Amino acid sequence: MIDWNLVAKITGGGFGVAILVLLILALVTWLVGLGLQRIPAKSKEKSVKDSR
Amino acid sequence: MFGLYETAFGALTWGNILMLAIGSLLIYLGIGKKMEPFLLVPIGFGIFAVNLPLGGLMVYSPEGLPSEVPTLSEMVKAVGEGKVGLLNVVYAYGIQTEVIPLLIFLCLGALTDFAPTIARPISFLFGATAQLGIFVAFLIAYLSGMFTLNEAACVGIIGGSDGPPTVYLTAALAPQLLGPITLVAYSYMALVPIIQPPIIKLLTNKKERAIYMKPQVRKVSKLETILFPIIVFLISALLVPKSVPLIGMFMFGNLLKASGVTDRLAQSAGGAFIDVLTFLLGIMVGALMPAEVFLKSQTLAMVGLALVAFAFSTIGGLLGAKFANLFLKEKINPMIGAAGVSAIPMSARVVQRMGQQANPRNFLLMHAMGPNMAGAIGTSVVAGILLGMLK
Repeated sequence: MIDWNLVAKITGGGFGVAILVLLILALVTWLVGLGLQRIPAKSKEKSVKDSR
Repeated sequence: MFGLYETAFGALTWGNILMLAIGSLLIYLGIGKKMEPFLLVPIGFGIFAVNLPLGGLMVYSPEGLPSEVPTLSEMVKAVGEGKVGLLNVVYAYGIQTEVIPLLIFLCLGALTDFAPTIARPISFLFGATAQLGIFVAFLIAYLSGMFTLNEAACVGIIGGSDGPPTVYLTAALAPQLLGPITLVAYSYMALVPIIQPPIIKLLTNKKERAIYMKPQVRKVSKLETILFPIIVFLISALLVPKSVPLIGMFMFGNLLKASGVTDRLAQSAGGAFIDVLTFLLGIMVGALMPAEVFLKSQTLAMVGLALVAFAFSTIGGLLGAKFANLFLKEKINPMIGAAGVSAIPMSARVVQRMGQQANPRNFLLMHAMGPNMAGAIGTSVVAGILLGMLK
């Protein structure tokens, strides 16, 4: 006897959750990268201003 | 006088002989054709070990399962009496406890450079959509009636094209299928260069395959490479707790490498340690294939379903990249999505080769490595999801 509810939960739900988790990882990785790229850029600007 | 009655000839079955031929073929492919030699040679030898009767390296119960290893104090006696063999001990303490696949994942983490994934986080999308094959194969396997729900999940995970999660999930959900599933998974990984190109060609036109991508991916800072394994571990652990053993080990190994202060540990993990674990896993996988377990219609079905899984994972990755192109200003070559089928680094190499065929200026390897790594993380996440649902 096939448990269609469980099958749907595993295939649809499982695949959906996998995509969601990896998209969250993508978003966080992107945000961290963005933040860390800006910090050195800002500190560079600051050091240029200080030298003036 | 020479104890001829003690030879194994009388106990040899036709099934054993067929398995010995399969073992010989694997050893030939490993040594002669250099196909996944680190795995195929020990697997082939392990098949010899269990299909030469009366040897006692791995003893099976009449039900076809590896004999139970008694408590530690009784073990020496049981080994002496031939009730269990050396490989039963390795199986009980290394595979049933899931120690070996997890430690292998730690070592792989210490060998992995996530910079291409960090530089282009959208790679995670392709790594996610490339898990499609797991669920398609699971569905077909379960609906065929040949596999239970747990077994179907283990057949499906072959589509993730990543060894340790496959071994880990199968050891947890359907240990009786560990031998054939691992063999089929690793065999198909070696066949990625044959399976993927026709599917990629079918789903992309020449113009798409020729899309040029600048060879340089953004330079990733050291701090990013250190933070990445920690962030991935924390988020995965919170969202999919059952993925912690796999992702945790993978990311811990990577942190050893990325930190730059534990080089010796990372080198040990990526050197002799992984070699020891690999041959233990290899010979164990082979030893899980006595004729009565391997020569079943289920095994043949697995071979077909694994092909379906790999094909749909490739399709998923490609469609993910095509979907992303709808929104991206600077279009990406959709073929890099196909590398979301981890099979590190084979699928990335396939993309690189096909990219250069379509446009000789293209150098897609580093672009394809991003989805490749993300696919490995994706498969571990999916293994955790399936464990959470089925165990």
